[in-house]
Amino acid sequence: MANERIDLPQGTLDLLILRTLALEPQHGWGISERIQQISSNVLQVQQGSLYPALHRLERRGWIKARWGMSENSRRAKYYNLTRGGRKQLDSEAGAWRKLSAAVAQVLDMA
Amino acid sequence: MVRDLLYRFRALFHRNVVESELDEELRFHFDEQVEKYVRSGLSRKEAVRRSRMEFGGAESIKEDCREARGVMFIDTALQDVRYAIRGFRRTPGFALTVVATIALGLGLNTPVFTIFNAYVLRPLSVRDPYSLYLFTWQKRDGGGHLFTWREFQDFEKQNPAFSEVIGRDPVPFVRVEGHTLFGDLVTGNYFRMLGINAAIGRTLLAADVSGPGSAPVVVISYSAWKDKFAGDPNIIGKKLAIRGYQLEVVGVAREGFHGLGEVPREFWAPLTMAPQLEEGPNLFGVEQPQRLRIVGRLRRGLDQRHAATALTIWARQRTADRTDTERATAAVLHSEATTIAMDPLVVAGLTPVFAAFGLVLLIACANVANMLLARAMARQREIGIRLAIGAARARLVRQLLTESVLLALPAAVAGFAVSKATIDLGERLMFATLPRGFTEYVTLLPLQPDLRVLGFMLFAAVLSALLFGLAPAIQATRSNVMQAARGEFTTDFRPARLRNALVVGQVAVSVLLLICAMALLRASNRIEHFDVGLKTRGVVAMDIVDKFRAKVVQQLASEPSVRSVASASKLPFVGSLPWMPVTPDSSSERSWAGYIYVSPEYFSVFELPIVRGRKFTAEEAQGGEPVVVISQATARLFWPRGDALGRSLRIEQDPQQPRSLAENLRIGIPPQRVVRVIGIARDAVNGYVGYGIDQTCVFFPGRADAAGYVLLVRVKRDAEVALGTLDKAITASMPGAVDEIHPIDEALTGQLYPYRAAYWVSSAIGCIALLLTLSGIYGILSYLVTQRTKEIGIRVALGASSGSVVRLVLKQSLKLAGIGAAVGATAALGVSRILASQLDVFVFEKVDQLAYGMGIVLVIAASASATYVPCVRAARIEPVTTLRCDLDSRET
Repeated sequence: MANERIDLPQGTLDLLILRTLALEPQHGWGISERIQQISSNVLQVQQGSLYPALHRLERRGWIKARWGMSENSRRAKYYNLTRGGRKQLDSEAGAWRKLSAAVAQVLDMA
Repeated sequence: MVRDLLYRFRALFHRNVVESELDEELRFHFDEQVEKYVRSGLSRKEAVRRSRMEFGGAESIKEDCREARGVMFIDTALQDVRYAIRGFRRTPGFALTVVATIALGLGLNTPVFTIFNAYVLRPLSVRDPYSLYLFTWQKRDGGGHLFTWREFQDFEKQNPAFSEVIGRDPVPFVRVEGHTLFGDLVTGNYFRMLGINAAIGRTLLAADVSGPGSAPVVVISYSAWKDKFAGDPNIIGKKLAIRGYQLEVVGVAREGFHGLGEVPREFWAPLTMAPQLEEGPNLFGVEQPQRLRIVGRLRRGLDQRHAATALTIWARQRTADRTDTERATAAVLHSEATTIAMDPLVVAGLTPVFAAFGLVLLIACANVANMLLARAMARQREIGIRLAIGAARARLVRQLLTESVLLALPAAVAGFAVSKATIDLGERLMFATLPRGFTEYVTLLPLQPDLRVLGFMLFAAVLSALLFGLAPAIQATRSNVMQAARGEFTTDFRPARLRNALVVGQVAVSVLLLICAMALLRASNRIEHFDVGLKTRGVVAMDIVDKFRAKVVQQLASEPSVRSVASASKLPFVGSLPWMPVTPDSSSERSWAGYIYVSPEYFSVFELPIVRGRKFTAEEAQGGEPVVVISQATARLFWPRGDALGRSLRIEQDPQQPRSLAENLRIGIPPQRVVRVIGIARDAVNGYVGYGIDQTCVFFPGRADAAGYVLLVRVKRDAEVALGTLDKAITASMPGAVDEIHPIDEALTGQLYPYRAAYWVSSAIGCIALLLTLSGIYGILSYLVTQRTKEIGIRVALGASSGSVVRLVLKQSLKLAGIGAAVGATAALGVSRILASQLDVFVFEKVDQLAYGMGIVLVIAASASATYVPCVRAARIEPVTTLRCDLDSRET
């Protein structure tokens, strides 16, 4: 399992966080779990990069934090997407799709 | 953007809240992770262990989060500040010395900037000063143009570039109630266009300037009202006798307005009073003299270049029908936004001054850099350890620079106080040392500091912090981590070359400044002790208003205190002689000669002996006969063989039009004809004192009461006392008749004053530079001795005498001083050449050997004496103790 994991390219973590939060507000641990689950354990987010990324996104105004209750009734910091964040997600996701399609095309060249 | 800022602010000022939130967030994550492992079947202990391993250092995550929040920069800056202040508290002597040194450097530079600011940078306190331009046109010979009344009227109607124009005509100094005043005659829209209202009373109105001689009124400046009329509350309605006319004061202009032009104006009278208040031809008469200056407000949306083009076309058309030399070639616009417009000439003139003061600041910075280097050396261990445990070099450099800036800011505050004191002292000294009669003529713009001055101080302070802080910071953090860990700090740390370069630079600057000071002093001494060839003691010079001239000459003749009265077309010593082309009968080649018109009594008033022949008779003077007296030097030049007496001289037509028509009219160009030499006078200075004995001087006979001539009165008693009685006697019968009255000795000292002042300023800064240099040399040598204690100890242990140890230290210092002196003296060669061309006086030698010798000897001797204490310390080194404690002694 370990050797199936790959490092995230620069800048994609932000995109993944935004995409995850587009579904529903989530706390930091929830975000990392969700990314791991959906990517079938290929992508694992380290805490060391997750939290600085969250703080950076919050400063840019793409996500907003508020305190809420977790499933097991503990106080947790939930992040949710702002309108600006949604716009950013749309444009970045579009760019990413274009890029990956182009890269795939080049790689699949006969 | 705003949100970003708010976020950063919250992060910065609610640091505790934010930090504890971060804590809680990370703990939540950790606990959830543990729960997840427990759920998957691990024991709680194992789950905690695994989570902890995955998590890594919570502190470094937090640090990264702080960075992401964007407060790191401010955070670390605050840390650095706190750290630096703790350091200064431990070594207050060091901090104080640095602050005092930089404060001195800044405090000396700021007054120069303050003066520059007041004259060149500060906009005039008038409405929209940046749209005001002085307009003139250039003629073929490159000279400017003053306008006639008719030209002004045409321009007012036709001008293509200005929305409004004013005409002004400066009135030379006049005396009113014993005070000298300088003013302008102005058109009726002057105050309205400049947006100046009155402090009390009213300003001039268009109605005051409706026709020639229309309104005998005057507006005075606020500072003239305060200083020369003692703030008289009943000034409005008072009648002032200006040049014998009674002008009623109708108002005082608002505070801070000093008129247009470089010299602050003290009164403004209607232009229509010109025929009454001005000498020479009537401004409104048929002769149409060229006198007016035109200042206009540029039309909105028009820039200077386009305006100049439009005006050039206008000026060329307007002068198309004139003679070649009178035709306009191009229009010229000078900004009137500040008192002195910034142009290349002003910059060239001020550069040496700025350079001299700037050098003092540089020396101060070099000193401080040296001190910081020594301190950095002592802190090598600390810095090495910090590098070893992972501090980034950039971070350390930033911290050391923070220290420098923290030292520079209090220095700026202290420098501000020093500068204020310097300006006060300078002004007081200037007025105290000026010849008594001249203080009235010198009016300074107010020299209060403003925002620009504060900005300059801050800028200079931060710049000097970078200057003195950057090199030590980079040097100090260069050390190798491995060596630092082993406790070896000196191998890679070689600031010696930099430190030596700093000392050499300081010595060079001191030598340069002291040589210049010395050369200036000797020049001014030489002028002072220079025999001008005229007996000036007991002679009073007077400028008289022409319409009173005949009566004044009459009255002087009957005054009991007066011995004799002469007149001359120019005051001796002040201004050079005018020149004319001549052909002596001894040759066919034309040469040039200086000339002056004098009445026959000139020779007796100044006791100037006629060595051969005779002086003019009263009849020759009255009739303007074709006879001349020449100076000995002139005789030798034109008739090198044989006797000049009885020979003749042909006065030629000047091929170039005379430069200034006003001058022409006043003194008269000698008519073209042949004149006979009837006498030879001893050599003397009749021209400008700075040029020395006249190389040529031709005396033409002049009438005692000729218009525009200066009266020279030999009195029986002391000139100073007689002056008072004469002034009173004349003013009593003819108020406003005397424009200027001085003992002629005072005019002479007045001419010397700038050199004296330049000498004082340059020796003051030279001495300060020397003092700073000495402290610099002292610092570097005592540091050197401390650093080499071990080596010296070994030498002594091996049998070196204390004499040889002292020689070692002395040699080091003298080598630096020698190199510095050589560099400084070489620079002085260049600088004194510039000075000589700027000063333009015969007594200023380009290479004044004595000045060079004295400057160099003084600095080298002083450098040697600065080594005394370090030498003694080196000689006292005990070999046993130094060998025992090797490292610690190096760090003291």
